[in-house]
Amino acid sequence: MARSKRFEALDARPVNQDGFVTEWPEVGMIAMENPGDPKPSIKIENGKIVELDGKKRADFDMIDTFIADHAIKIENAEAANALDSLEIARKLVDFNCPRSEVIKITTALTPAKLTEAVSQLTVVEMMQAVNKLRAREMPANQCHVTNVKDNPVQIAADAAEAAVRGFAEQETTVGIVRYAPFNAMAIMIGANVGRPGILTQCAVEEATELDLGMKGFTAYAETVSVYGTEPVFIDGDDTPWSKAFLASCYASRGLKMRFTSGTGSEVQMGYAEGKSMLYLEARCQYITKGAGSQGTQNGSVSCCGVPAAVPSGIRAMLAENLIAMALDLECASSNDQTFTHSDLRRVARSLMQFAPGTDFICSGYSATPNYDNMFAGSNWDADDYDDWNIIQRDLKIDGGLSPVTEDEVVAARNKAAKVIQALFRELGLTEITDAEVEAATYARGSQDMPDRNVVEDLKAADGMLKRGVTSVDFVKALYRAGYEDVAESIYNILMQRISADYLHTSAILTKDFKVVSAVNYPNDYHGPKTGYQISDERWAQIKNIRQAIDPATI
Amino acid sequence: MTQEEMIKQVMAEVLKNLGGSDAPAAKPAAGSVSSDQYPLAEKVPEKLKSASGKAYAEFSLQKVISGELTSEDFRTNPQTLIMQAEVAESVGRDAFGRNLRRAAELTAVPDAELLAVYNALRPYRSTKAELLAIADKLETQYGCKISAGFIREAAGVYEERGRLKAE
Amino acid sequence: MDEKTLRAIIEEVLKEVGANDGGTAVATKTKTQAPQLRITEIGPAQRGTDPREVVIALSPAFGGKLTQTITGIPLGDVLREVTAGIEEEGLKYRFIRVFRTADVGFIAHEAAKLSGSGIGIGIQSRGTTVIHQKDLPPLSNLELFPQAPLLDLETFRQIGKNAAKYAKNESPTPVPVRNDQMARPKYQAIAALLHIKECELLVDGKPVQELKVEL
Repeated sequence: MARSKRFEALDARPVNQDGFVTEWPEVGMIAMENPGDPKPSIKIENGKIVELDGKKRADFDMIDTFIADHAIKIENAEAANALDSLEIARKLVDFNCPRSEVIKITTALTPAKLTEAVSQLTVVEMMQAVNKLRAREMPANQCHVTNVKDNPVQIAADAAEAAVRGFAEQETTVGIVRYAPFNAMAIMIGANVGRPGILTQCAVEEATELDLGMKGFTAYAETVSVYGTEPVFIDGDDTPWSKAFLASCYASRGLKMRFTSGTGSEVQMGYAEGKSMLYLEARCQYITKGAGSQGTQNGSVSCCGVPAAVPSGIRAMLAENLIAMALDLECASSNDQTFTHSDLRRVARSLMQFAPGTDFICSGYSATPNYDNMFAGSNWDADDYDDWNIIQRDLKIDGGLSPVTEDEVVAARNKAAKVIQALFRELGLTEITDAEVEAATYARGSQDMPDRNVVEDLKAADGMLKRGVTSVDFVKALYRAGYEDVAESIYNILMQRISADYLHTSAILTKDFKVVSAVNYPNDYHGPKTGYQISDERWAQIKNIRQAIDPATI
Repeated sequence: MTQEEMIKQVMAEVLKNLGGSDAPAAKPAAGSVSSDQYPLAEKVPEKLKSASGKAYAEFSLQKVISGELTSEDFRTNPQTLIMQAEVAESVGRDAFGRNLRRAAELTAVPDAELLAVYNALRPYRSTKAELLAIADKLETQYGCKISAGFIREAAGVYEERGRLKAE
Repeated sequence: MDEKTLRAIIEEVLKEVGANDGGTAVATKTKTQAPQLRITEIGPAQRGTDPREVVIALSPAFGGKLTQTITGIPLGDVLREVTAGIEEEGLKYRFIRVFRTADVGFIAHEAAKLSGSGIGIGIQSRGTTVIHQKDLPPLSNLELFPQAPLLDLETFRQIGKNAAKYAKNESPTPVPVRNDQMARPKYQAIAALLHIKECELLVDGKPVQELKVEL
């Protein structure tokens, strides 16, 4: 048969590079509403939950037990679960039903019940619900700062630029694990050169990540992963109890933290137990809640290629964000991982969170070109900065970023590179040359950076840990090197550990180190012209793109 | 804090601890805080101290540079975490509050030991006896009553679900 | 990889997943022209004492149910390169298979714990590979190669070489990290299907087995 030219053209489109599969409910390859999902139920005897979502206590697995004993507000449970799921769904959306009333109900539901309720909604209704249920009044954004060479000078420069552009939180990770101390140090210093008060983290194995936090190399943690079935949890080398204990470890050192989970992880790891991705993710959110985490990073995250390959998968990612918010958790709503070759699909996916606004719309946005993104690519990268800014301007929405000038960016990158050069020198680490500083100042990515001696770097990083260097030593070294301002910023980050104010739900810091969280800035949306409104000053920032032609100049 | 306030606060703590791990959140004692005092660093800085007992209000960059403040001083105090738990509970975040109360106890545990306890709680790392011994040590040596109860609870679940180290 | 190859892999995986004929790996022929890979279990694996060995741990379906990586590299060729890399450094190797988990971190850690040198390599059928050291936490690593579609035969040889160097207490330059942000959109759902296949072959309580591998 002759080939249709129409189909030939369609086959060549980026979207047809993506992997799609049909639903397969028996193994859990289905986004929502698997016939195998349990029917909601709850029974309470003597103040204890003895039946949860169709299972008797004797048949509970580890996760059921944890949820039953720690995650459900038992005082309201019987009344809340007796409500019709559709009625709950309507309350989620209806702006006449205040957030506080919704939360009272939703935090007392069972996982299957809350899943059933959100499954009644269209994506437009879910977005409306997100607008109301986001914990913090104003949205924010988070970025990734990594590179394929683990080059610390580039990390510092990219972090500084990202801070200037508006990201409130920044996350790094490693190509080579032993680079972690350098990467953590570089992102913390670089980010706070760009804008004081940026919180930074380094995603590595859980015990290692806690250790870096204790030493003050990071200000918060996020890669504390939980899973919705017991075998996958065990393959993740944890249990709900070890993860809850870990949460307390962080808090005991005055470190902010959130858990991470997402649809598709269980089927990706081979044990979905014939349940829908969304129901299993709801279980993750209850574990997160029960463990006492202030928040979550969810929205399929690194597994998004899985739900994105099945019908209603992108809707499921929005639904899981909504479940997190309905449990009164901070929600860093993913939008952080590549799932498609199609620019149309990636914008459609992100508008779900971008338009209503979440605590962190991306978690994170790649602050480098994607070839340097060591989370295997983000849905948005540094080459998309102008697109993001212009979409904010087109729709008059606040996605956390601001247009910036080339001069500002070059200056911030240069300073960050010089500061990390001085810090390495003061701490007796490997040399950072002036050529590297120059390259980092103007680089787009690691292809523009000279190679470093990796073996020497790894030795120096290990030696630094062995010497017991902490971020207090960074403060002193920066001061000695003449960067009193940066020393002061890192000192102020350290001060947060004592007051512990930033441990609270959805906390970020202003450039003056004032805490903004869901406690002092709760979302009070209750209809048009309420809740977060873009101020005149902020709108002037968003509007001010360098590409616009001023009519007066023509 | 006046002496009277301090006594009240300590009493409230002792009474709460006597209640064991299942006790409901302590009733706010006199001198306790709520979301009205949040952020504590801005509204009630005089109530904040580091783990080493130094007053938050007296910290300065210069004292770090001079060496008067060291990394040991940049740690929060159990009382601060209990106040933050009270803030959380005052806005309905009970589970988060419970986490902060566990954390308040754990401030007493040294870094290396804390990491070791976390690792011992991971699957197949410990026998039941080992977990119970850890719980006892946390309770007797550091006064971590809530966390000890939590670890005992985990030991029971791990036994039931076959997640203990093979003996 | 072109669309046709991709389609062929998906069809093959779906066919195999549907087959449901259980049992652990024994001798099978690869679907390509590559020479036969024959794997036989020879009893519970022992902890080695030779400091000049690297242990290679295979996932449950490796070389049995699944015969090629996610990009279609025959698994026999993968092992040939890894072992050649180890031999180039003058070290020995042994093979084991893990049945408790299909997670590559744990598989590699199992290899490291049983290795006389304390260095092990874990490989999943789809190609994901880890170099591990026995004193590290299971989900940490010396070197991790998480993006299976980017691993070619040359990389597998370098992995073998570097593992051997770690075993000799050297500090090798890590194998250059590769990154392709479009690997996930193309392969993740298929990787999930492959992993489900691995997990179907897990046997609870079955000890790690020593393997005889004929390349």
